[in-house]
Amino acid sequence: MADKLWYFVMVPMVYLAFAWCIVWIVVKIIEILRTPNLPGTLRIFPEGNNPQNPPSYPLAAAAWDAFTMPSVRRHNPVLWVFLCIFHVSIALLILAHIDLAPQVNIMPATSEHMIGNGVVGIAVTVSILYFLFRRFRTPVREVSVPADYLLLILLLAIVMTGDIMSWGNSWAENGFIITKKDFGDYFNSLLRFTFSDPRQFLTGSHYAVIGAHVLLANLFLIVLPFSKIMHAFFAAPLNKLRRG
Amino acid sequence: MEESEKKRLLGLMADKLNRSVKMCLDNCTRCGVCIDACHAYASTGDVRYTAVARAQNIRRLFENYHKFTGKVAPWLNEAVELDERWMEKVYETAFTCTGCRRCMTYCPFGIDTQQIQAIAKAMLIGADMDPKPLTMRAKAEIDKGEKLEATKEKFAKEVEKIRAEMVEKWPTTGGYDLIPLDVKNVDVLFVSMAEKPSILPAARILNAARENWTLSCFEAVNFGAFLGSQSMTEQIYQRIVSEAEQLRVKELVICECGTAYRIMKHVIGKRNFDVITFMELIDRYIRDGRIKLDKSRIEGTITYHDPCQIARNGGVYEEPRNCLKAVTDNFIEMTPNRQANWCCGGGGGLVIAAEPEFRMLTSRVKADQIKATSADVVATACEMCFAQLKDLNDDYELDVRVSLVSDLVAEALVEE
Repeated sequence: MADKLWYFVMVPMVYLAFAWCIVWIVVKIIEILRTPNLPGTLRIFPEGNNPQNPPSYPLAAAAWDAFTMPSVRRHNPVLWVFLCIFHVSIALLILAHIDLAPQVNIMPATSEHMIGNGVVGIAVTVSILYFLFRRFRTPVREVSVPADYLLLILLLAIVMTGDIMSWGNSWAENGFIITKKDFGDYFNSLLRFTFSDPRQFLTGSHYAVIGAHVLLANLFLIVLPFSKIMHAFFAAPLNKLRRG
Repeated sequence: MEESEKKRLLGLMADKLNRSVKMCLDNCTRCGVCIDACHAYASTGDVRYTAVARAQNIRRLFENYHKFTGKVAPWLNEAVELDERWMEKVYETAFTCTGCRRCMTYCPFGIDTQQIQAIAKAMLIGADMDPKPLTMRAKAEIDKGEKLEATKEKFAKEVEKIRAEMVEKWPTTGGYDLIPLDVKNVDVLFVSMAEKPSILPAARILNAARENWTLSCFEAVNFGAFLGSQSMTEQIYQRIVSEAEQLRVKELVICECGTAYRIMKHVIGKRNFDVITFMELIDRYIRDGRIKLDKSRIEGTITYHDPCQIARNGGVYEEPRNCLKAVTDNFIEMTPNRQANWCCGGGGGLVIAAEPEFRMLTSRVKADQIKATSADVVATACEMCFAQLKDLNDDYELDVRVSLVSDLVAEALVEE
């Protein structure tokens, strides 16, 4: 029974979670696009020589605001540092997971590790812990809702199981023996829809940790379209409104 | 609350859910960066008076009635039912905020609190919980537009008195109409506050510059906008738009009224005339040498308070400063200034809608900011700010002179 459950988590649920996530993200974006926009500008005017003139490249300016968060840097530099660490690390982790596919080789195929040799995972863990702890302090505590904590806890659980997998490789002689290539074989089977049992690629006694990591990631994909993570798609359009 | 009433109010909320509002409601991460942006929070330390807390009052309704998560797990984002108790929170969102949009310069996404506030205001009107002094004034403005001939007649009588006073005070001026009314094909239609304190200095400056102008018979201020009624806002600004179109003017010049300027410049869309603030026009006169100013007439140091709707939300930063630098050599900036300036605490109609105690309590940072300049004169370019700064001056014993920029310019005017 447990084997069947793990198989469900590791293979069919991954497809279902991805499909669910993509479909709902598309639905959410279409829903926003179909809603009529407000006439008139919502612009905040910059200082300088020609404050009345909108920026020459408003989309580029909005993308700059969305990716570099200058307002946070100005008003809360410590948070900004952790936000940068978090977002860059997440981008690297996405890249590292893509790199697991045998067709991509950013890290050598023979490498035991993913991109960053485990450091990226630690960086994102530390930043999530910072985000979580600051929510226990006034005044951020007063404006936080349960979803804010739960989402951070879910993310923390995902990256910590990832950390265990990544760092476990060097913990003991008979510890993790799952290499980038092994993960790559599992990824490849998913990409090719072979529906193979992942156990044939991911051997060892730590399969449950990998299973937990995938289960939590599946859950994350399921909740993502209904969570504030959707700001990943709307940060630039919102900033565009401010830029004019 | 009765079911039909609830349904009606939620319908009003739904009507306000345009694309930008939906994005603003859906994407806040409650990071809390905006918390320090609000003058009311900075003055009181009360988290209710933060952009995010005010928005949450509406966001939690949105969660309940418009979100999937609100249906399946309302506890996740603390979805709430709409009832009488929650309408008090809606009131808090609408009328503890001046709509200064300083929080937008803090938010990493630029979430517009004023847009969320608009939902709250619409619901309050629906529930008959709108601040009546604002509603009365808005209705009176609309009434003026509907009874156009009577309005013009009454206004002409008022203007006649001001004309007589001008001739008495400045007998050298003459030979032309000091306050032209209803003149077609002029360069400038000046929209004042339709009261002597606003008309008199403006007429002196415009005449000194030999401007080809006429005075609007309507007041610039738009109480419908403060109230949050879209239909009233439109009816009120439409009076001025129709007048400008009928008179075929080139430029519509708005007196020192922040909200009026923002609406006419940035909300109504492109028209056949340009819209500028009086500050921009005076600055142009100074640059072109059309008016001469005597720097010795105003004593002491002058500082400038950037009105939110003209500066941050309107893009007019330097022109008022240029005007002030033309009337004094002792101009000093307050800190922070321009886009980052603290709101006076009276905008968004709070000068009329909020209790004076609340306005004074939530504007301590503004008083401290003025105090820190050690200026003798605080100038501003908005009537609402002017009224609030005068109250702050009395309440916090700042011992400054509060003045509109145009008043200072008129005072320093060398009439030839």
